[in-house]
Amino acid sequence: MDAKKRILSIIEKRVLILDGATGTELQRRGMPQGACPEQWCLENQGIIKSIHKDYMMAGSDVVYTCTFGANRVKLSQYGSFNIQATNRKLAELARDAVGENMLIAGDIGPTGRFVQPFGDLEFEEAVDIFKEQVKGLLEGSVDLFIIETQMDIQEARAALIAVKETCDKFTMVTMTYEEGGRTLNGTDPVSALVTLESLGADAVGCNCSTGPEGMIPYIETMKPHASVPLVAKPNAGMPRLVNNKTVFDMKPETFASFGRAFLKAGVNILGGCCGTRPGHIKSLTGVLEGKRPRPPRKKAISALSSARKSVILGIGSPLVIIGERINPTGKKDLQKELVKGKTTIVLGLAREQEEKGASLLDINVGMPDIDEAETLKRVIYALSPLISSPLVIDSSSIEAIETALRIYPGRAMVNSISGETHKIERLLPLAKKYGAMFILLPLTDKELPATSRRRKEIIKDILGRAQEIGVDKSDIVVDGLTMTVSASPGSAKETLETIRWCTRSQKLLTVVGLSNISFGLPQRKWVNSAFLAMAIHSGLSMAIANPSSTELMAIKMASDVLTQRDKDAGLFISYFATSGQSSGQEPVAKEEASPAQNVYMSVLEGNREGIIDHLDKAIAAGMDAYKLVNEIMIPAIMEVGDMFDRKEYFLPQLIASAEAMKKGFEHLKPLLEELTSQEKGTIVLATVKGDIHDIGKNIVALMLRNHGFKVIDLGKDVAKEEIIKAIKKYNPLVVGLSALMTTTMVNMRDVIELAGRHGLNCKFIVGGAVVTRAYADSIGAVYAKDAVEAARVAERLSS
Amino acid sequence: MEDTRYFHNIIIMPPRDLIYARLGYRRGKTKVDDRQKEEIERAIEQAQSFMELKGAAKRIRIEKITSSEVVLAQGITFDSRQLSSMLKDSNEALLMAATAGNRIMQAIKVESDSGNLTRAVILDAVASETTDKVLDWISSFYKQELVRQGLNLTSRRYSAGYGDLDLKHQKTIYDTLGLNRLGVKITDSYILIPEKSVTAIAGIRQAA
Repeated sequence: MDAKKRILSIIEKRVLILDGATGTELQRRGMPQGACPEQWCLENQGIIKSIHKDYMMAGSDVVYTCTFGANRVKLSQYGSFNIQATNRKLAELARDAVGENMLIAGDIGPTGRFVQPFGDLEFEEAVDIFKEQVKGLLEGSVDLFIIETQMDIQEARAALIAVKETCDKFTMVTMTYEEGGRTLNGTDPVSALVTLESLGADAVGCNCSTGPEGMIPYIETMKPHASVPLVAKPNAGMPRLVNNKTVFDMKPETFASFGRAFLKAGVNILGGCCGTRPGHIKSLTGVLEGKRPRPPRKKAISALSSARKSVILGIGSPLVIIGERINPTGKKDLQKELVKGKTTIVLGLAREQEEKGASLLDINVGMPDIDEAETLKRVIYALSPLISSPLVIDSSSIEAIETALRIYPGRAMVNSISGETHKIERLLPLAKKYGAMFILLPLTDKELPATSRRRKEIIKDILGRAQEIGVDKSDIVVDGLTMTVSASPGSAKETLETIRWCTRSQKLLTVVGLSNISFGLPQRKWVNSAFLAMAIHSGLSMAIANPSSTELMAIKMASDVLTQRDKDAGLFISYFATSGQSSGQEPVAKEEASPAQNVYMSVLEGNREGIIDHLDKAIAAGMDAYKLVNEIMIPAIMEVGDMFDRKEYFLPQLIASAEAMKKGFEHLKPLLEELTSQEKGTIVLATVKGDIHDIGKNIVALMLRNHGFKVIDLGKDVAKEEIIKAIKKYNPLVVGLSALMTTTMVNMRDVIELAGRHGLNCKFIVGGAVVTRAYADSIGAVYAKDAVEAARVAERLSS
Repeated sequence: MEDTRYFHNIIIMPPRDLIYARLGYRRGKTKVDDRQKEEIERAIEQAQSFMELKGAAKRIRIEKITSSEVVLAQGITFDSRQLSSMLKDSNEALLMAATAGNRIMQAIKVESDSGNLTRAVILDAVASETTDKVLDWISSFYKQELVRQGLNLTSRRYSAGYGDLDLKHQKTIYDTLGLNRLGVKITDSYILIPEKSVTAIAGIRQAA
């Protein structure tokens, strides 16, 4: 039986058992520290063969070749190797050890370099590196491939493409997740799963980095979205430090005791990673004997992913907004930027749309005289490390789409594939190869169908063609084809009917480009909004729109509630709570507060936006400006200081209150001439020579000004001579010095000593992360632990 | 000895717990209302978008350790009793560096200069804590590799300017890692520019 069928047939009945660790086992069996494992195995063939054999005897169905680091990047650290031959020989050793009936997986580990856009290794170079290894392993007659311990989703993609472009073997991909549940590059298990299963991995999962307990939740998270078997290969527990050495010491029985939990979580393929030994595998095999794993729940999945996020799509889910703004049409600045090869505006548009609620971003860089493929690549590389929304590749160029799909470190959607012959023939296979979703545009070479009846026929035809090459319905989103109602008044009805039919009788996802509908009409936003509401009611899954349109987003949020897509209205409530838009509700209770209370609360709550209005109302109500300052604002800021002392407030709140106070004080200044001429005195502040960390000093300056002091801020990295000059010039009550580092703290002493030599008798307050009360005492200064204390000390010293 | 590895486009989520703690937040004590929370969270997200996290690292063989001095290959020497003690079981040292880049520093300055110190302080805290996290990221990257070689990293790391390791050694690390390639500069007083840049030394030792 062909290996692929054999694996699938085992998985139907029971858990497929992988082997345990190779690297740590080699060390136990004598491989010296610093040795190249591949080279050492070739020189000590008996040992690696005995490891393979021991795993077979312990119950493994699959053993991994000892080729984890047998790529040209890794091996070059140890000298000159024939990569293909090394891989072939190591695969042959495994075969020699376990015989013909055992399954052997060609092991492909990471290169140790990050692939573009996350590192400097070019994507095609990475594919070449892995192809070289794949060829050698195939010559050594491996039955399947395992791409493992991947921390970079783009490297995993490159390796998977290398295998898939070389052969049709069963291929598993396992990522390695850090403590927070993401790979080092920030990919979470579901995003990795969506990316890899759609790209053609036959099984997906995780290995290394954690013990069984830590890995079970990853399997649980992935299971609802898995269309392929799930793999887990945990370490023998978490490493522990014993006598200054790291050990993995989970006993085989303990390790195996997690087998049932893995099964419950949905694992289909299980083995062991670092620290596990044949004993662990034997125990695991025993525990899992006769147990049937849960098969994948779905044949395919409607989902898109970036390197950091996945968006699961579905009929009945809240409407998904595809941000439409990254498109040079009508945007001269963007056109110029793209021609110059820059991406600053693109990045800004992407961030803005994400912030406004777009879940996906449409990327269109098409314009005359531009290398669209190259530009699209540049934009994808610029966005991928910084933007989490998955991308929709919008182009009429087949070459540009192919380039984008190949290098996009996630699962993208193609916008669009129509019934035009050349698109069907060339784009459908590309979407299939790279596992992309695509927007099906129901038009043909000859026809832009006006009626929903014709659109349905074209949709069925394209669907049939797609299914012939293995594309699933869930990979497709149908465009309802929006026409302009001012030109063809009945067209909106036809679009809505198309959406309804796709949703209800075909269970297909749908999309519309909204703005077409209102061309030529005044007040277009209302036409767009009304159409959107109707389309959502008809079942629309996603809309290509500008998420900065508040009307549109409000209609979307409300329609999601009314159509029960946002079941408890949680998204609606959260949107209006955080979007800065008024919820339409009148403030409760606040209206009962007096103007003076509102001023007090503005300082207390750090309300810099509201304080001016409240002050004006208080003045209009007849309150005296002096009273406002002395009896309302100062007590409020004192209360803030006390709350900060009690840790009820933390730094951002303290500063926000101080800023509100400052703003209010400045607003009242024209009414406070007498008070301002009675400043408490001058304070000179400086961050001492050699130190550039001045944010703490800036906070102190703000607090002192609020307490009525005149502050002369000399800045950071200030030489002692400059400070002395300022003391002579301003004759301050107090001098405040700050330093963040032990190395610069000593410069405080120099300043104070120099002041003494100049006969200056002013007082010094010192502070900063490393400064202590004892140090302050030793140099004859007063210590302040924070800005609040600095203000209090200054008050004391000045009285 | 391996070449220096440079890591561009490092992706790290802002470590919120550490950022809040750095700003003085105490669980169970500090009370933050929704409006304040929203403002703080927005500033954290803004900081994240300004960050250009990069790192560099290199494994170097330890030639000699005395009670007060560590000598690495190529004669790279650190005189520090505390560092010697930390590296006493190690055969190699891992020199590391991380930077948050220039854009975040410019953003902090703009906010600070325009009187929005609240936002400046939050950006500053995000930049500091996230840059430190880059060193954890580099450590995790190496741990993956080391575990298969029967090696591991010391759980502690040491930085120039702390304890008895003089700040002048920052220049040694700067030169060894070629940090100019990350756009980082060093002043005559051994301070790294951009300000949110850090260096560290960890030990590589044998696992059990």
